Amino acid sequence: MPADVRTKPKLASPPSVTRRTLRVRGTDVTLLEEVRLLAIDDLGFDVEFESLDFLTCQHRAAMDPLNYDIYEQCFHNLDIVWYWGALQPIETERIKQWDNIGSLAKSGGISKYTWQGHGDVPVRKLYVQPDGTLGQQPMPQISMLPTAHNVDSFGYDRRLFGEEGPEGSSWAWLLDRRARGRIALVDEPAIGIFDVALAAEASGDLTFEDIGNMTVDEIDSLMGLLETLRQQGFFVGSWVSSDQAEALVRDDRVSVQSMWSPSYGNLGAMSGIFCESFPREGYRAWHGGASLARHLTGAKLDMGYEYLNWWLTGLAGAVMARQGHYMTNPEGVRAYLSSEEWGYWYDGDIARCDLKGPDGRIVVRKGQRRPGGSYRERVSRIAMWNTVMDEYNYAARSWKRFIASLGTATP
Amino acid sequence: MTQIIMPPTPAVQTQEPLYETISRVLRHNITSGVLPAGLVLIEGPIAKLMQTSRAPVQASLRMLRAEGLIHRFRGRGYLVGAAGATSQPVRKSLDEYDFDIPEASRAALAIRGTWIRVYDQVEAEVAACQIFGEFRVIETELAEYLGVSRTVARDVLSRLNERGLLRKGATSHWLAGPLTARTLREKFELRSIMEPAALRLATDYIDPVQIAAIRARIDQGDALDTAELEGAFMRHCLGRARNGALVEIIASNRLLLSSMDKALIDLGLPVDVVALDQYRTLFDLIGLRQVDAATEYLKEHLRILSLKSLARLKIVALIPESESIPRYLVKV
Repeated sequence: MPADVRTKPKLASPPSVTRRTLRVRGTDVTLLEEVRLLAIDDLGFDVEFESLDFLTCQHRAAMDPLNYDIYEQCFHNLDIVWYWGALQPIETERIKQWDNIGSLAKSGGISKYTWQGHGDVPVRKLYVQPDGTLGQQPMPQISMLPTAHNVDSFGYDRRLFGEEGPEGSSWAWLLDRRARGRIALVDEPAIGIFDVALAAEASGDLTFEDIGNMTVDEIDSLMGLLETLRQQGFFVGSWVSSDQAEALVRDDRVSVQSMWSPSYGNLGAMSGIFCESFPREGYRAWHGGASLARHLTGAKLDMGYEYLNWWLTGLAGAVMARQGHYMTNPEGVRAYLSSEEWGYWYDGDIARCDLKGPDGRIVVRKGQRRPGGSYRERVSRIAMWNTVMDEYNYAARSWKRFIASLGTATP
Repeated sequence: MTQIIMPPTPAVQTQEPLYETISRVLRHNITSGVLPAGLVLIEGPIAKLMQTSRAPVQASLRMLRAEGLIHRFRGRGYLVGAAGATSQPVRKSLDEYDFDIPEASRAALAIRGTWIRVYDQVEAEVAACQIFGEFRVIETELAEYLGVSRTVARDVLSRLNERGLLRKGATSHWLAGPLTARTLREKFELRSIMEPAALRLATDYIDPVQIAAIRARIDQGDALDTAELEGAFMRHCLGRARNGALVEIIASNRLLLSSMDKALIDLGLPVDVVALDQYRTLFDLIGLRQVDAATEYLKEHLRILSLKSLARLKIVALIPESESIPRYLVKV
């Protein structure tokens, strides 16, 4: 750790040295102020974060490739930015902890016996093939350094649905008639579409030949079903940011909705009433990472590699863990978590004391156990990954029309 | 069904291509100094001035660039002058100069039938809109938009229908699009069936001097982009197959794909260096008369191209429908 500069005596006039800056473009999934401050402490340069919503972030990363140095996003929408030529390959030999990166990212599952899941399995976008495409054949260059990841489900109101039971809940609950008028969906097309698709298939309303790569007809059927339900008043609306999702729960306006891990610690009085589900069909997973902008060369490129390597030192992973996300090299993170934290977040143990989130507020109460259990239990039950499927252009446009007809459920 | 009146094709072939005429006019104005070094040339205003569609203007700008009379810069369009010159871009309307269209060229521009002139434009517009979804083409609006009779408008649409860019809906409306991943995949599948076959048929008729010339231009550096190489491959290789019907189907099948590429390039898609390398290898194999290797390589090249096109179509989801979609196209 570098010496604390604040303890140094003040100079009569500050030296006019321009501090070097690394610009990171990404989403609020990983661009946390806590992470930025830790990075600046450890690295010899400033780090600027530009946090954007998912779609704007992809759009700008592709179309405006000169105004960022690092792109932090998810593997599932890498296609868009990669094939637009905005990024450069990462040499794995320059990643110090490459050997410690987990097999979920490197080979597609935590063991060769686990089912990889439908859709955009990260490993299929990881390695840069000699013809410039992305594929799962291991190569010395990668498109994105795997970092934070998680498995998502939906949140439900225990007062309506009761206990999950040993079998777990079902994605079918997300479109359950009992929750009519009290259902909200996330508006991001690469995520929201699959929440409802899993629900529609679980309920038996629809079947997909490959839920991770739907045909135009299947997309039309799904949108038809949603429109029917909308007309019957099923939905209270959609949400864009986690804050909105949390507000819907706190205001008691939803009985079931799309929801992400960090939100369960921010439900106030509804905590313990509105629960994270453990669906029997499996989770919808995502994997984040960081990429190098195409324009980086020389000293700037070295800074980029320093930052990527820093992500794997464990400090950032500890911040991620406190909001429920996993890191690709868990053992590196362990050193920066208390044994209680490690036990709850990674091992699925009962919390032995209250646990704080990244911003210092208590997000887990003593005695709670993480739904779904340990890291291994959870990531071995992946039904599918967030996906930008082949018909994304068609699907996202249909989805956008549907979401617009719902309106945003702002409290 | 009304009878479709097709344009008199032979008459067209006796004329020089429109882009040659446009090139001649532009060349004349550049070499005589009417247009100053650094002036930004954009296809739209030139097309308007010459009363043509954009496509031939585009072709002639490429030609002038290859001749070194104009060059690319970090903006839309071209700059007058050779690439080495460090001229600042001058953004002025062509009206501000004494732009001269010589009498002979004026006649050549005017002589071209209305039909040909409007067809290229409508083809480009109808193809380009399809990435944004399904559109209905309103025949009366089209006639009004182009300033032509409804008969001409209908002929244009029938021709587009024949070439697979339009279809008749259940209620007899003209429909275009949407260009989905399925359409894209099917078109590439067709390409990988037909193009290697055509290449085989064409082998003995390909002019080795032409191929050597293309190879030389690739080696010289940035004189060509992938669209030009696709065009050259069609003209000098596939087009030589002694099976006119096959060549025509191949050309039609490529239409929508090349207009999608064009739309993406307009949105800022950078030059695909890997693809340029692949064309180099392809032309090498053809030049060496390695027929089996060339056809196998072509299949692999098309497989990769298909994969990249599918990925690139995804970004369109993030782009709002273009405001430049003409009013005769109505979103369904």
